[in-house]
Amino acid sequence: MNIIGPDYLVFGVDDLVACSEFLTAFGLTPAGVDDKGGLFEALDGTGVIIRHKSDPDLPAPLPTATMLRQQVYGVRGDADIEAIAAELGKDRKVHRLADGTIETTDDFGFALKFQVTKRRKLEMPAEKINAPGAPAQRGPNVLGVWDGMPAKPRMLSHTVLFVPDIEVATGFYCQRLGFVITDVLKGAGPFLRPKDNDDHHTLFFIRTPEYMKGIEHLAFHMGGPTELMVAGSRFVKSGYESFWGPGRHKFGSNWFWYFNSPLGTHFEYDADMDKHDDEWIAREAPFGPEASQMFLLQHREKWVPGPGPAPKE
Amino acid sequence: MRLCRLDEVLDGQARGFSVPGLQRKVILVRRGVSVFAYRDSCPHYEGGTPMAWKADRYLNGEGTHLACHSHGALFEIETGECVLGPCLGQRLTKVPVRISPSGDIEMVREPAEEELG
Ligand code: FES
Ligand SMILES: [Fe+2]
Repeated sequence: MNIIGPDYLVFGVDDLVACSEFLTAFGLTPAGVDDKGGLFEALDGTGVIIRHKSDPDLPAPLPTATMLRQQVYGVRGDADIEAIAAELGKDRKVHRLADGTIETTDDFGFALKFQVTKRRKLEMPAEKINAPGAPAQRGPNVLGVWDGMPAKPRMLSHTVLFVPDIEVATGFYCQRLGFVITDVLKGAGPFLRPKDNDDHHTLFFIRTPEYMKGIEHLAFHMGGPTELMVAGSRFVKSGYESFWGPGRHKFGSNWFWYFNSPLGTHFEYDADMDKHDDEWIAREAPFGPEASQMFLLQHREKWVPGPGPAPKE
Repeated sequence: MRLCRLDEVLDGQARGFSVPGLQRKVILVRRGVSVFAYRDSCPHYEGGTPMAWKADRYLNGEGTHLACHSHGALFEIETGECVLGPCLGQRLTKVPVRISPSGDIEMVREPAEEELG
């Protein structure tokens, strides 16, 4: 089962105009969006789909405050769709759609869809840095930052769900769909990556009571920590609400910066996440501020330590 | 402490105010001639977190409730009680305000020590 990761997250929202404004300002590009909503995509074509919450084409809502209506996973090929349909068809309804995709729900009622991935292959350089002792990544006269430099989300990275039972959640995604646990924050939950993705995590669970079931946050990969800082600073300057960050997580090593959104979930910029293969042995740490981040900073308005008070005339 | 004039908050809308020395903003919501005021601090996570998705955007799409734009919790505008979402049954912290005869919205008392950042 070659699952790659989330292609799209689908939301049923109560204010399409506000959500369009937010998603565009976050750096996503509308792709075929009309007054009923549509896809806002990152550079590789993954992204967020919004519809009005009353749109009859949406899967049924969860009975909580969450606006998440479906997670669309990209897989490598048709054979993977068949394998997933066969496996999940053992104990639940799997709907086959005319376009070759399948729809079903996980053990908590989160709606899922599987499609042959629509991601476009990205060919872009990572952020380059210079350090003594190592060959220069940016040669002479190549600048690290400049006004107006691009800082666009490249790829949908991961989803974090509030789920009422970690064992049930892990059982479904690992035993049934072949996800692998990379690390565990005890008291919260495990980090998971699908078999066909070497990112530290595309999925993380936090155990909560049933009435909180939903999405805690979603994240997009940026080209590096500088792009993350530039995008986040611009976002704050435009009036958007920083929730947590910037900082750098320990598990996954990714830089992070989280923002509130009118989609009822946090949107995270992330950058420079660890990669893993099957040799990796999952670590465990107790959930808490210490395990969660290497460091945490807080944005402030631009300021400069000038030359001091002007001399008295 | 004066926050703004009554007519600077549009009917049915909300605004957030940074108060010097206060850790969290104060949210004002206007319904006709009534004004409701709360600390901009969602009770879901310990310590409280900011609720808007953008400056002054505190209400849900329909404008019927105060919303926390972290996980979509909805709060009654009149009482601050959470009626849907992760902080079900909890409340926003009220900020006592009055409208002066000249139409200014004022905080009734100076912030208590524990509210200072
Ligand atoms: S932080 Fe407000 S609903 Fe979760
Ligand atoms: Fe994250």
